[in-house]
Amino acid sequence: MAETRGGCGPSMDLFRSEAMQLVQIIIPIESAHLTVSYLGELGLLQFKDLNSEKSPFQRTYATQIKKCGEMARKLRFFKEQMLKAGLTPSIKSTRADNDIDNLEVKLGELEAELVEMNANGEKLQRNYSELVEYKLVLQKAGEFFSSVLNSATAQQREMESQQTGEESIETPLLEQEKFTDQSKQIKLGFIAGLVAREKSMAFERILFRATRGNVFLKQAEVEEPVIDPVSGVKIEKNVFVIFYSGERAKNKILKICEVFGANRYPFTEDLGKQAQSITEVSGKISELKTTLDAGMIHRDNLLQNIGDQFEQWNLLVKKEKSIYHTLNMLSLDVTKKCLVGEGWSPVFATKQIQDALQRAAVDSNSQVGAILQVLHTKESPPTYFRTNKFTTAFQEIVDAYGVAKYQEANPGVFTVVTFPFLFAVMFGDWGHGICLLLATLYYIIREKKLSGQKLGDIMEMTFGGRYVIMMMSLFSIYTGLIYNEFFSVPFELFGRSAYACRDLSCRDSTTMGLIKVRDTYPFGVDPVWHGTRSELPFLNSLKMKMSILIGVSQMNLGILLSYFNASFFRNNVNIWFQFVPQLIFLNSLFGYLSLLIIMKWCTGSEADLYHVMIYMFLSPTDELGENQLFPGQKTAQLVLLLLALVSVPWMLFPKPFLLKKQHENRHQGESYALIQSTDDSLQSETNHNSHGHGHEEFEFSEVFVHQLIHTIEFVLGAVSNTASYLRLWALSLAHSELSSVFYEKVLMLAYGYNNIMILIVGIIVFVLATIGVLLVMETLSAFLHALRLHWVEFQNKFYEGDGYKFLPFAFALLQDEEE
Amino acid sequence: MSFLITTLIFVAIGVIASLCTGICFNRGISANLFHQTLFITATVCCWMMWAIVYLAQMKPLIVPILSEGE
Repeated sequence: MAETRGGCGPSMDLFRSEAMQLVQIIIPIESAHLTVSYLGELGLLQFKDLNSEKSPFQRTYATQIKKCGEMARKLRFFKEQMLKAGLTPSIKSTRADNDIDNLEVKLGELEAELVEMNANGEKLQRNYSELVEYKLVLQKAGEFFSSVLNSATAQQREMESQQTGEESIETPLLEQEKFTDQSKQIKLGFIAGLVAREKSMAFERILFRATRGNVFLKQAEVEEPVIDPVSGVKIEKNVFVIFYSGERAKNKILKICEVFGANRYPFTEDLGKQAQSITEVSGKISELKTTLDAGMIHRDNLLQNIGDQFEQWNLLVKKEKSIYHTLNMLSLDVTKKCLVGEGWSPVFATKQIQDALQRAAVDSNSQVGAILQVLHTKESPPTYFRTNKFTTAFQEIVDAYGVAKYQEANPGVFTVVTFPFLFAVMFGDWGHGICLLLATLYYIIREKKLSGQKLGDIMEMTFGGRYVIMMMSLFSIYTGLIYNEFFSVPFELFGRSAYACRDLSCRDSTTMGLIKVRDTYPFGVDPVWHGTRSELPFLNSLKMKMSILIGVSQMNLGILLSYFNASFFRNNVNIWFQFVPQLIFLNSLFGYLSLLIIMKWCTGSEADLYHVMIYMFLSPTDELGENQLFPGQKTAQLVLLLLALVSVPWMLFPKPFLLKKQHENRHQGESYALIQSTDDSLQSETNHNSHGHGHEEFEFSEVFVHQLIHTIEFVLGAVSNTASYLRLWALSLAHSELSSVFYEKVLMLAYGYNNIMILIVGIIVFVLATIGVLLVMETLSAFLHALRLHWVEFQNKFYEGDGYKFLPFAFALLQDEEE
Repeated sequence: MSFLITTLIFVAIGVIASLCTGICFNRGISANLFHQTLFITATVCCWMMWAIVYLAQMKPLIVPILSEGE
């Protein structure tokens, strides 16, 4: 494939995606597993699914995948258990044996052990919490009973004393009543237990309603939360004692208790028996506690052991599963002795793949080695860029728009510089640039430490783009120096200002203004402009023109890249009927405008450029008059206008016709094509789908409409894209105005009060506003606008972006995957 | 004149930087070419920015008019 394309000079890293090839691998079935595993370690082969018509269950290695799934489930169970026990799987790698069959047995044993342990533990825990609750009931209800008993005896004593002591004339009658009362007393039943505190109110109400008020409920709060035996959760509970009368009431109460999850416990009125059962229960509790603790320690040890090897096992299982998934993509040979696989690999990796195949054949004692052969196909290969930690983030910016077509010119090469540069044009302040640089240096210095651990969403994103941010901040420092802004304060760093008063008295410096007395300020904007009345008109004019110049340059770069694409793919039609007219069109209008801008600056002419540009279209034959910048301008403009007008049909018409002619030429001899030789037939059988022979229909109208759209888009785009670059001016203006507002209206205002407290408050507000608005929000918005300028204005000149990414089968990628 | 001198300085920086990549971080032709492209692009961007601002101030049409307060 690569040899059919032309290149110019030596290839550049990252400019074209790696040359790829479609390879076929024939692996003896006995060494298939090992071979695939070695290829996974190498990670430079993207297997094609040759069994896409088969469902997952019909594939060769479905059972093995099921096994791996089962193992993964067990591992997940272990992880859950570890999380519950508060253990984290250690990252340190203890060498576990790498045999998957042993691991399967081991995992099974461990799971069974853990499940049994859990069941026992749960049973014991349940008993234990029941006993604890029982004890609580005994204590609380006991307290209640004894207090009631005390008050009852006190009452009785009182009554007796009343009977004996205060015999008066009225008493005998009452006495009689009381005695009858006592004789009527009936036996009351009672139930004791615990109910969750939040349900206790409802419990009481329902009880009251159900029994029509014929119960007496006494509750006492338990101070500390109790573990509920049923659910195993710690909740706050109340001890209750219900007194009732009659069997029906009892049944009702029992049912209500059940509904409310109130656990009931046997309880006696007898104080002696109560004390006895309390000691009994306490004994049992301490016994159970020791058993439970021993069980917990045992379980923790087991989990610790699992945790030590968990990561190792997890990785092993994941690898195994991915190996079988890959094996399932291979097709079984007719003889059932070989597996045939197809996949994409970079051309440079051929040797490494062959080595891996050989090693696998040796290591698995296979009699025949695997065979690797390169297939020829018309299918478009995947796109693969070898990026490093610096270029990855920039490439991702490009990929987010669209993955490059195979071997198409990669805008990523220029994005590395132009993206941060355009950002900095909007974010020009070297104070802010330094802040940003310090923040990102923190990431870069602690890179090794941070890349290992899990970060939050936003942290992860900024960490991933740390080198992008670094470049952005470096360029911001540069453009800040050019704009001469340090938190909106100018400095005379590069010599003295070029301006001075007209005379010694400086009277008209506020009306007529200063006058230029020295050479132009050598680097950046003259500091004298800051705070003057003419600052905004000057900066606006400067930044607006700068935006146009930068925009026209970048768009020209984009068109130039389309030339590199066309020449690389040997597409002369695109060079002559797309690249050339596009270049002419853009430059005869906006290139000319850029030229006028520069001329105007160099000559100091007062010509009105708007007027020149507008009347260049409206009445090109009119004399320019005072707006003339150079002799012969009228003729030049006429020529340029003609060129622009000619280049539109130049873009539109020839290309579709030439394409049609090319297509006809190609298919003239088609009817006499060679009959496929028998050697090829086997191969073409297996790859029938991928070897289509360019029989696609040529729809002229479709091609023409496509070209029409493309032309209109370019012509209108030339205008709108140039205008779009004015966002550089707008955002840069917004940034400098905002920072000067914060400086003047917060910091300087606070300073003016001559009060230390106000100054401190002012500084705090200034810092917060600078960080929040300028460093975070403005960074974000400038980032987005730079992104747009690259994606739309730059890339639409040449970038197709309809490729697909190279996704090799690699174990290294498995580790990042989360389930 | 100053315009030409500073431009020459920019050119010198660009050339030195791209030569340095070939000498100091030699990682093969294609990698060097990539690094050189980066440095040249960066230099061109920086120079352009500077040149624009310089040219704009060379023959001023508007002059700074101080605010009343100052």
